[in-house]
Amino acid sequence: MTAAVLDRPALDRPLRAPLSRLLASELRWTLRRPRTVIAIVLLSLVPILIGIGVTIAGRRGGGGGLFATLVGNGFVLPILSLTLLLTMLLPLLGAMSAADALAGEASHGTLRGLLMAPVGRGRLLAVKAFGVATTVFIAVLGIAVVGVITGVVLVGTDGMITLSGNTLSFGDALGRIGLAVLWVTFQVWAVAAIALAVSAFTEHPLVVMAATLAGALVFGVITLIPQLDWMQPYLLTSSWTSVTDVLRDPMPWDGLVNSTLKAACYLAIGLGVAYAKVSSKDG
Amino acid sequence: MNGKQAGLVVGAAGVLAGVVGLGVLALPAGAGPAPVLPQVSAEQLVQSVLTTKTVPALAGTVSATNNLGLPAVPALGGQASKFLTDGTTKAQVWTDGKGKGRVSLPGATSEETMVFDGTTLWDWTSQNNTVHKSTDTPEQKAHPDKPGSGEMATDPAAAAKQIIALIDKDSTVKVDGTATVAGRPAYELVLAPKPTEKTLLREVRIAIDSETKIPLQLSVLANGNAQPVAQIGFSTLQIAPQDPALFTFTPPAGANVVTGEDKKVADKAPDQLKNAAKPQIVGSGWDTVLVEKLPAGTLGGDRSATTKGGENFDPSKLLGQLGKRVSGPWGSGYEISTAVGTALVLDDGRIAVGAVPEQALITALASVK
Amino acid sequence: MTSTSLVEPGVGAAVAAPALAARTRGLRKTYGSTVAVDQVDLDVPDGAVLGMLGPNGSGKTTTIRMLLGLVQPTAGEVELLGHPMPSGAQITLPHVGALVEGPGFHPFLSGRENLRRVAAAEPLMATPAIASSVTEALERVGLADAADRRYRGYSLGMKQRLGLAAVLLLPRRLVVLDEPTNGLDPAGTREIRRVIAELHAAGTTVLVSSHLLAEIEATCTHVAVLHKGSVVAQGELDELLEAGAPALLVSTPDVELSLDALRDKRIAARSSEDGLFVELIGTTAPQVVKALVEAGASVHEVRRRRTGLEDLFAQLTEGEPR
Repeated sequence: MTAAVLDRPALDRPLRAPLSRLLASELRWTLRRPRTVIAIVLLSLVPILIGIGVTIAGRRGGGGGLFATLVGNGFVLPILSLTLLLTMLLPLLGAMSAADALAGEASHGTLRGLLMAPVGRGRLLAVKAFGVATTVFIAVLGIAVVGVITGVVLVGTDGMITLSGNTLSFGDALGRIGLAVLWVTFQVWAVAAIALAVSAFTEHPLVVMAATLAGALVFGVITLIPQLDWMQPYLLTSSWTSVTDVLRDPMPWDGLVNSTLKAACYLAIGLGVAYAKVSSKDG
Repeated sequence: MNGKQAGLVVGAAGVLAGVVGLGVLALPAGAGPAPVLPQVSAEQLVQSVLTTKTVPALAGTVSATNNLGLPAVPALGGQASKFLTDGTTKAQVWTDGKGKGRVSLPGATSEETMVFDGTTLWDWTSQNNTVHKSTDTPEQKAHPDKPGSGEMATDPAAAAKQIIALIDKDSTVKVDGTATVAGRPAYELVLAPKPTEKTLLREVRIAIDSETKIPLQLSVLANGNAQPVAQIGFSTLQIAPQDPALFTFTPPAGANVVTGEDKKVADKAPDQLKNAAKPQIVGSGWDTVLVEKLPAGTLGGDRSATTKGGENFDPSKLLGQLGKRVSGPWGSGYEISTAVGTALVLDDGRIAVGAVPEQALITALASVK
Repeated sequence: MTSTSLVEPGVGAAVAAPALAARTRGLRKTYGSTVAVDQVDLDVPDGAVLGMLGPNGSGKTTTIRMLLGLVQPTAGEVELLGHPMPSGAQITLPHVGALVEGPGFHPFLSGRENLRRVAAAEPLMATPAIASSVTEALERVGLADAADRRYRGYSLGMKQRLGLAAVLLLPRRLVVLDEPTNGLDPAGTREIRRVIAELHAAGTTVLVSSHLLAEIEATCTHVAVLHKGSVVAQGELDELLEAGAPALLVSTPDVELSLDALRDKRIAARSSEDGLFVELIGTTAPQVVKALVEAGASVHEVRRRRTGLEDLFAQLTEGEPR
């Protein structure tokens, strides 16, 4: 700091830190947070637990549904794990990540620091959304990878037996699992986008978690009330069963495509609200 | 102020796009404008349907929507019973146009797939990892794409006349414009009862593909309801050659393969009832009422009619779930009423069923001793 | 960032020769029906160390947040380094370092990691220079030894130093420090003063807010006093110190003689500990001295009485519970 008056950089145009540096910094921060790491590791253990459970339960079957399909069919394990985790824990991970991204930063006073650096508000949201999205993707990918390995080791496999009764080759099976990973990731992104919108409005990360949990419960309750059937097509959760379509052959695309479009709508709503709030909020 | 307002505008645009998108997605596939097709008479249409002997190779989704108003009956488990309860059920169908076919009934986490490879019918149920294999010619179950070829006149033109004449006695038949069904232009053939008929039904609409002349959709409409009370038809349809691999089936490793005519027990029950007595037909046309008398006791403690799984069940309990207890000078029993018809099941074994109100059933019962 | 050679390049394009590093006119901010800041016309001269003085809740932080474009003013205009705010934030803020409302860092990261994260977001920071700049800043605030400990375990003073280190990551045109000595021990306070003096020497404009008068008096060249959301006084520290009630303190053994002489000249005076207290109302110091000398009183010393910022502050914020 011996810089003299004469040595000052020009003050005539907007300056921005390189986006790649911001994204890298965001990832570094996200993936160093103990909470995030623990959550990802715990979620990745779920396929192992299911695999052990099914192995112990043996050929007696039981459980029904995908559990029945799982016996001797290891490649179903990652899909089954993702299906189970999508109902609650993965959305919660997305919500947690989104909560830390804006509300958490605000509560530590670090959001102000970023705004003063300055990181433009639109960029700030983009960087935050990127961090959340990457966290979710890593978690989903982790579950799938651990699921495939566990499935092959514990349950054994000669390819994937589909719900339709035919057997897919190793490569096709991996392709299906990859598709499931992308689809599940996108669905959780939609949840996280809504959580990010909530996150922009509060300084308390727990409020975001509570709101997401409450939303999930409300959606669940609506699903149970026959009089509210007309709302089903609007609910994100109502199309979450379509991930099992990757286990059918030939694979019906309409459910997967429709639910992806629906998730895109939730994503647009969530990011829209978040953008409006972030660009107008006080630092 | 600028940045703030721009942020609000962009944000609002995003929200709007999302909300509109959700609305569009939730909307039932738009009917769109009715396609313009050359005029055709009802007779010509029926004739052309009859001329079409073969179903082309196709893949499609068959949706059955049911608003009959029947209560859900948990006792009748299984995939097929889904068609009975209110709601929409979907099935995927494929055929190569040469007799081979494939049907799959998806469940939330399971699937029942039936494949007929030309000689063998495979029926795979993922839930219990079981394949039923039978080599007899498959019944035409769940094949709405196959038009019933009548055993009437061999000349389609004559047959069409015959059919129309038969129907004309108490119905009006006409081609009521066109519609787009599963993305294909179709004629709408409408059968409606003459005003003198007492039936609960308003009309039956059949959408017939303008090109291939296969029926695409069948809708039943009842009085006092704008929506079809029952509808079955294609929600998506692709007429194109299909991958031959679809029509082969290899039981997966570790599956239970059951060979032979292991018909489901549930399928047997109606057969028994059918053989129990010969139904009498009262009335004609839309007001036809079937009356039959079962041997006393059939509905009481007979344990022969069991659901699959082997559990004993009491038919009167089921009747209690489905209908309400009624009585009158004609006797007492259960009345099951739906949007399209009524059934009376009396304690003395008499049964009357028809697409008519309760009063018409009672009259019909009275005419049979 | 290529050019560093020109003298104040490009500044003239927007506003001719910004003698002011920051300037507000008619600034007003309301939260609901509460008026936080009203009619603030603040001038921060370029190169000055301006102390913003006011009791808690007088609107210091709100004014600073509007200066930095963090908060949208309800009315009025803000100019920072010659550019309107908040629209010019992307141009001006890279040149501004600020510590507002306490240091903000993540507890689970070390001090160094926290600074790296801040540095990554700084537009003027060259990527290869991040590591060395962070180390340098940590050394400057005396945190080199604790750099790799988690922020969670830092004392209040260490946290404040880390906040200061974030400001010092880059050479700045303007540094804004909101209550920088909060939670610091006397040694820490001295270090803050040293840093402010260094910044001033390097030509950086510094804006310090404080509710502690001694703090301002010790470090500032200029001062602005806020009270109930308005600027009640501002200017050079020296001028303001005299602005209170001008008076002369005269040391003389001939008190009675002097009083009589001054009374004759209609100059208000009274006796004090070691001589006279003369109010300079309707008169000037030479006239007073002349009157005394003519009367034959022996004058040992005549000096102006400085009001002391404390008196001024007390006058301006009288009756205000602090």
